[in-house]
This record gives sequence, C-alpha cells and structure tokens, in this order.
Amino acid sequence: MVQVIEYPVTATFAWSKHKLPYLVSGTYSNAIDPNFSSESKLELWSINQINNKEPIFSLNSDSKFNDLDWSGDNVTIAGALDNGSIEIFKFNQENDSIQSNELIKNNRHTGPIRSITFNPRQDNLLLSGGEGIINSSNSAKTLPTINNIQNTTSEIFIYDLNDVDNPETLPMSPNMTMNRFETISSLAWNKSLSHVFSAAGNTSAVSIFDLKAKKEVINLNYINPTTGMKEIFSVVEWHPKNSTRIATATSNNISNPLNATANAGDSIYIWDLRNSNAPLQILSPQQFENNTIVGHTDGIQSLDWCAQDETFLLSSGRDNSIMLWNPDSGLPLTKYPKRNNWCFKSKFAPNFPEIFASASLDGKIEVQTLQNIPTISDEEENNSKQQESETDFWNNVSTEKVVEKATVFNFQAPSWYNNIIEPAATWSFGGKLVSISKDGKSININKPNLPGYFQDNKNLEE
Amino acid sequence: MVSIANPHSDLIHDTALDYYGKRLATCSSDKTIKIFDIEGGNQRLVDTLFGHEGPVWRVEWAHPKFGNTLASCSYDGKVLIWKEENGKWSQIAVHSTHTASVNSVKWAPHEYGALLLAGSSDGKVSIIEFEENGSLTPIVIDAHSIGVNSVCWAPAVVEEQNKSLKQLRRFVTGGADNLVKVWKYESNSKTYSLEESLEGHSDWVRDVAWSPSLLSQSYIASVSQDRTCVIWTQVNNDGPWKKTLLKSEKFSDVLWRASWSLSGNVLAISGGDNKVTLWKQNLSGSWDSAGEVQQ
Repeated sequence: MVQVIEYPVTATFAWSKHKLPYLVSGTYSNAIDPNFSSESKLELWSINQINNKEPIFSLNSDSKFNDLDWSGDNVTIAGALDNGSIEIFKFNQENDSIQSNELIKNNRHTGPIRSITFNPRQDNLLLSGGEGIINSSNSAKTLPTINNIQNTTSEIFIYDLNDVDNPETLPMSPNMTMNRFETISSLAWNKSLSHVFSAAGNTSAVSIFDLKAKKEVINLNYINPTTGMKEIFSVVEWHPKNSTRIATATSNNISNPLNATANAGDSIYIWDLRNSNAPLQILSPQQFENNTIVGHTDGIQSLDWCAQDETFLLSSGRDNSIMLWNPDSGLPLTKYPKRNNWCFKSKFAPNFPEIFASASLDGKIEVQTLQNIPTISDEEENNSKQQESETDFWNNVSTEKVVEKATVFNFQAPSWYNNIIEPAATWSFGGKLVSISKDGKSININKPNLPGYFQDNKNLEE
Repeated sequence: MVSIANPHSDLIHDTALDYYGKRLATCSSDKTIKIFDIEGGNQRLVDTLFGHEGPVWRVEWAHPKFGNTLASCSYDGKVLIWKEENGKWSQIAVHSTHTASVNSVKWAPHEYGALLLAGSSDGKVSIIEFEENGSLTPIVIDAHSIGVNSVCWAPAVVEEQNKSLKQLRRFVTGGADNLVKVWKYESNSKTYSLEESLEGHSDWVRDVAWSPSLLSQSYIASVSQDRTCVIWTQVNNDGPWKKTLLKSEKFSDVLWRASWSLSGNVLAISGGDNKVTLWKQNLSGSWDSAGEVQQ
C-alpha cells in the first residue's frame, strides 16, 4: 500500500470505524494560519482518494476546532470548538457528504472546549471538557488580576445526544473537588465500563470519575524521584480490554511554574488502578547506541492504545516525534520520522490498525503504515550519498527530497498478523501431512489413511 | 507417526518437509528456524538458524537440484536464503526489497531455475531470480493495495504457441483487499501481468494454494477470514475461472491455511477452530469431506 498519504491541513482529526476508513479534519485552533485566515473548515478525506490535495467534502464552521470525535456507528461527528460550542455533524456514506450544522442547545461550556469523546458503548453519550471563565458578578472581573490562574476553571459535561435540543435540560457534570484543574487537556472513557472516565488537565494528578458514584473516585499522581517534583499529566488513555489499566503521559512544560526545573524529558506511565501508588511501567526517554535518545524529550500530547493489540501504544508530542511502544514490556518498538513541528494527535485507524494518522503544526496530517522498513535501495542511496563529492552535494542539496524511514528497535508483530496459533497443515511427498498442534507449540507428522488415495502412492520416486 | 514437542520457545508458524521426507524445517515467533532429521519414527535437531529480527512466518525448501537450500520470510521485512554445505548451515543471501512484513515465500517449479516468489504487507510481490554469479535480480509488482497475505506458483505447464512449446509461468496471490489474483509471465517484457482478479471473499484472504497435480483443470483453493473456502477452476489453462464453494455453509471459524496433496488432489484446510479437515472432489464436481486429522 501507499506508505504515506498526507492531507495539507493544520487540523485536528477523527477516524471513521470503516475497514477502509475515512478521516474528518477540522481546522486547528492553536495554529496560526499562514495566510492569517480565521476561516474554519470541517473536511472529509479518504485513505484511497487519488488527489490528496482536495478533500472529498468540505464545509465551513463558525469557530476553529480543538478536538473531533466520530461515533462508533459512523453516523455522528462531534466537534469541540474554540468558541465554547459543540457542533454536531452527520455523515452520509451514500454520497460521501457531511451534513452541517447543529450546535448543542443545552451546552453549558463558558470557554474553549479542549477535548471531546463519544462513549465507546453508548453512541448517544458525549463527554466534553475545557476551561470556563469563572463567572463572578462583581466588577473585579474587568480588572487585571495578578494571578490570572484564578480566572479559569475546568468544565466537564456529559451530554445525552438524544436529549440536547432542550435548553432547559442540564448536562451531567461530575463533582470535581479533589483535583482543581484549570483546564482539561484530555478525556477518555473507560473502554469496558461505560460509566467510568478519566481526565487530565494541567495539574499533577489524573482524575478517575465514576458516574454511578457521580464523583471523582481515584486521583493518580507520581513524584519523579530525579526531580522530587510531581509530574504534570497532560494525556490519559485506557487499556483496550482491561478496565483497571490506564496510561497517563506527562507534559512537564518548562514554562509551567509548577515544574520549571524538570525538563528531563517526558514519560508515559502505565498503571493498574488496583495499586495506584506505583505505576506498572514507565516509558521514559532512553539513551540508545550512538547516543540517540529514544522517547519523548518534550511534552507528550497524545496517546492511542491499539484496540486490536494491547501491546501497542502510540504516542506523539511537542518534540515533533511519534513513538510506538510495548506498554507491557516497556520496550520502545519503533521511532517514526520526525515531523517539522509539534505533533499533537496520533491515532490508529480504529478498524484498520495497520495504519495511523498524525497531525502536526507543520501543516499536514500524515497517514502512514505501522511498518516502514528501510530496503536495500534505501541503503544504496545512503551509501552513494556519503560518497558524493562536495560539489555534487551542493548541486543536489536543493532538489533532493530526503525520505526518512522509521527506526525499528524491536520487530514485534501485531496480533492481526499470523502471530497467533496457526494449526497449519501442509502436505508433502508420500502422502505425509505435517501439522502444528492446537497450542501452536508442537509438530506432528501423520499419514492420513484415505482409501483410494494414498495406499498406492509412488511419488517418493518422482 | 512423528511428534516433536516444544522445539521452539514461542509459537510455531510453519513447517516444511524436504523432497525426500527426511528433513523438517520449522519456524517460529522466537525468530529462529530449526532443522530436524526425520528417520522413521525418530527425529533429531540438526541446527538452529539465527538471522531474522522478527517472527519467522514461512520456510520452504528449494528443489534438491539446488542443494539443501531453504528460504524463510519474516515480519522484519526480509527473505533469507540458507544453505547447508559440508554439514554446516549458513545464510547465503538476503532479499531486502520490501518495506513491511513478508508473509509468504515460495520457490518456483524447478524447471524455471532458482526463482523465488515473496508477498508482503507493503502490498507488493517480488520475484527474485538467483543467478549463477550469485546476484539477485528482483522484479517488484503492486499486487494487493493493502497487503499480500499469501502467494503460490502454478505447476510447470508447457503450452503450444505458434507450433513451438512455451512455458506458461503463472502464480496466484491472496490479499487483505479480499481478492485472489492470478498473474502470468510475459516473456517479451520479462515481467508479470495480471491475468484475472477473482472476487469471492468478503474478508482477508489468508492463504491461496494452486494444486500441483497436472490435470485437465487448474485448481486454486483460497481460504479467508470470512470462514469460507473457494475452489477456483479453469479448463485447459485458458478461459474463465469458475467459482465453487468448498462447503456451502460457513466454517465455524476463520480459515488460515490450505494445502493440496502432491497427487490425488486432497485438500487439507486448517482454521481457527484448530481442526484440520480433508476434502476431495466427487464425480459430480462438488466437494466431500474426507475426514479430520486427529492430532
């Protein structure tokens, strides 16, 4: 297949759940448009479209997007807008179109919405979070405050899409007393329990909420032994099957006053909530041979735990890099070619995890395959380049396009390959059948007795 | 007859008995290949071959006229060629033209020379000819847009063309695009072209097997994750391919592998239910169960 398809947009995105997936993109709010345009678009792309410069469908939106999600039934797309609105779109596969445009009427957000996600088990439940403006009635609001942190507070709402047209109906909001987020940067529903979700903001704790208890039930934090500081968590992601496993990632931004000294790189923590005192694994930047650092050196912005294989975790961040990890063993698997700017979202295609998309502030959404192994011709090209004369080098440098390949640290095959038990049975000469046992561990050679077929077999002399 | 328990430290993916039935090669997720001597009911480990960096999916013996030679393919994107000389196994060639997992590898009928066919998740198949001077000249073609799962050569057939005899060199591929494709060698352009794209599955085609028997009909079996097996037949190496379902109702689980016996056209099918079932064609052209292999 095509190694890389790229769409020329600075946009957040969501995949559809089709086997040959669509991708919907929404103009990203945290980027400056090269033409200083304030236009915002929702655009539809396909992974097998021939012209990748133009979307297959496009429509305008009132405000730029911070996040997008596509419901499990492929029908509804929800956009988290920077102006505080939630926009709902309907996808029509018959003519590859998206119908605009209704804003959720009972929306209670007062500020930009940062994260939005459909419940994986109930398509009508939508979780959104962001920062809200503290609504104070006194005149102090208009005066500049010294500590501007107190001007915002986080907002989390759960909407029932079957009942959003009534402005009188209030969305559900969990009680957030333990963790005082000023904003929400990441929200994730538990993949097996539809009443549990988690949130990360700009604080040193990740909150786990249970909607049955209507409140926060667990507060995860970690003191980094090197710095003695609590890690600042920016992203949360649940294990695809195990309801008590969660991954959290840090963004120890140097500009963050809470953690000014701790910029020794960022890590992913794998937890089992049954022991929330100590993580199971820490995926930290490591030094590999020839002094290359493998891992995130700055601000992790997204995580995606592969639904089909829980030994794959994809991460990307402000260090422009995209990494694939095995969260069980803690080993880095693959380092993908660096982007030219912050990489804020990387996601597997939900029903075609052979590929993933990543969005960066470099102006592109790139779709690439999980594997991109250097071939013999790449090596030859590399060798011939190193033997180039100085003149040739400077003659070629402006026209050559450097195609960087992924660096593989461990060749770990995904579960949808053949690395499952294959009771392969193979015929060979003399009517012998070699088969692999049911547990995939042993081998048997039989000579099945089929009257009229093998009793007079003389092929051995062939 | 012969049973080998736990030879590898991880799952075994493929096995191959050599031409004389005396040597068995096995490959595994433990990244190794093992060679056993089989003598009557006994077996003895001869060697363990290290070289792949990922799970090894398939092993295949070359025809004995090329010596004790083995090809293997792996998730690491490579095809390795191994040879035994003076009792010692060594890696003699690396074929590194694919950018993703190589899922299937097959030696051509020996009449064509040392010719190897490989299919990869990068969507391509490659045909490599090992020449006398040791060089490799790969032909690479786009086969299935989202990955090739299996490849298989047709048996060597000679056909008459303009009163001269010519080889009809063909192979079949099965892909993640749910298609089965038949390819044919064009001696003028020295490349392979698509002869037929066969639609009959609704999910990934996991294995394709071209019957090695030279009968008046060509037989291809394709098995799929859609839990069906299709038998494709063509009369006189020409004309349309006819589709017959091996069994009208679906199998109880995903099907992984199909293998034709070297004579007699008995098909062995194995699948996710861990059963190996045998099938043969009856006089009316449909397929009857010929039992289940007890493991």
